[in-house]
Amino acid sequence: MARYVDGDAVAFRELYAAVAPRLLGYLMKMAKSRALADDLLQQTFLKVHRARSAYVRGADPLPWIYAIAHRTFIDETRRKKRAVVQPAEEVPEVAAGITGEPDGTRDEPADPELTKAALEALEDLPTGQREAVVLTKLDGKSVAEAAAIAGTTVGAMKVRAHRGYEALRKLLGARKEAQ
Amino acid sequence: MSDVLDSLSGARAPKPPPLSPALAAELDRLGPVKTRRPLRQLATLAGISLVYAAGLVAMFTVRGDLDELPMPWLVAAGLAWLLGFVIPCYLALVPRPGQVMPRWGWAAVSAVVASIAFVVLGLFVHPSGAHSKYLGWEHLPKGHTCLELGVASALVPVIAGALFLRRALPVGSRWVAAALGAGGGCLGGLVLHLHCPITDAPHVGLVHGGVVLVSALLSAAFVPRATEP
Repeated sequence: MARYVDGDAVAFRELYAAVAPRLLGYLMKMAKSRALADDLLQQTFLKVHRARSAYVRGADPLPWIYAIAHRTFIDETRRKKRAVVQPAEEVPEVAAGITGEPDGTRDEPADPELTKAALEALEDLPTGQREAVVLTKLDGKSVAEAAAIAGTTVGAMKVRAHRGYEALRKLLGARKEAQ
Repeated sequence: MSDVLDSLSGARAPKPPPLSPALAAELDRLGPVKTRRPLRQLATLAGISLVYAAGLVAMFTVRGDLDELPMPWLVAAGLAWLLGFVIPCYLALVPRPGQVMPRWGWAAVSAVVASIAFVVLGLFVHPSGAHSKYLGWEHLPKGHTCLELGVASALVPVIAGALFLRRALPVGSRWVAAALGAGGGCLGGLVLHLHCPITDAPHVGLVHGGVVLVSALLSAAFVPRATEP
């Protein structure tokens, strides 16, 4: 980030290569659409670029970039609420991006059916709870980091994550019973 | 359940799209930029705001009953207004070490505490001298000029803070703006403390103290547009 604000375009591309995949994963789980997530990712990095003078040297830029992505998603949701509610036929598009296949760090392959069911259940959660589960359970952020990204208090983030986790468990249980 | 979350968190990260043409075009003309230096910004904001406040006091004259008021109260109240100015501005501008975004949660707390505390203190602690003036509840609206002067005093710190935090706050911008407003309002309170000879409870509490609340609300309403990326 320091090299980037000093005018090194290569450093920006390195930052993009390092951060964009994780950020895209977060945005896909939030936006429920690959196309919308791609668009939000581009908007996020454009905002980061235009706001780079607000960076504080020596600081970790990741929570700030995540918070910009969160803000971009919220603004987009408010702008066109219907864009978030995807028609049923677009649901597999999300699953196509996150396959549940191992990323090379896991020994055992995950169950793709289970992953798909979990993603669908995740989509049924309210936005706040979904974000809390995605950030704390899937992206490995601490509750404090997740709260800073989402612009809420640590206590509220804990409650959202707990409720989201419980709701996800109920939704998955109901799906299993239905099958 | 944890297996399911493990399978999701361990899923392969999606491949991001190439950079958008708009961003690629901006990168083509990328140059170095000056980054934010929070403590330097705080020092600058405090410096220019205090010079501005001193100018206002000089322009509108120092209160006539100053010599008749108890010195300990005069100093303590002045320090309280000064701390009320510096602390919210510090929390609004300076992040934790290693962070980019300021402590908006604590900034929010400081804005709320300052907005309530100075009203309550003004209502209950308001010594007067022989040349002090009284408006009372009946003529409370006549004190509107103090409210205007106080809010005008808050303008410089709020505008400076908004400029320093331009595009820096993706979240918590409203609370940070409220803290800047509350800090500016306290600077306004300090100006009124040195200028206004009216010492009745409703005026000191609701008008002088109210400057903090009004400035915080106005700042929270208008500043976030400038500070969001």
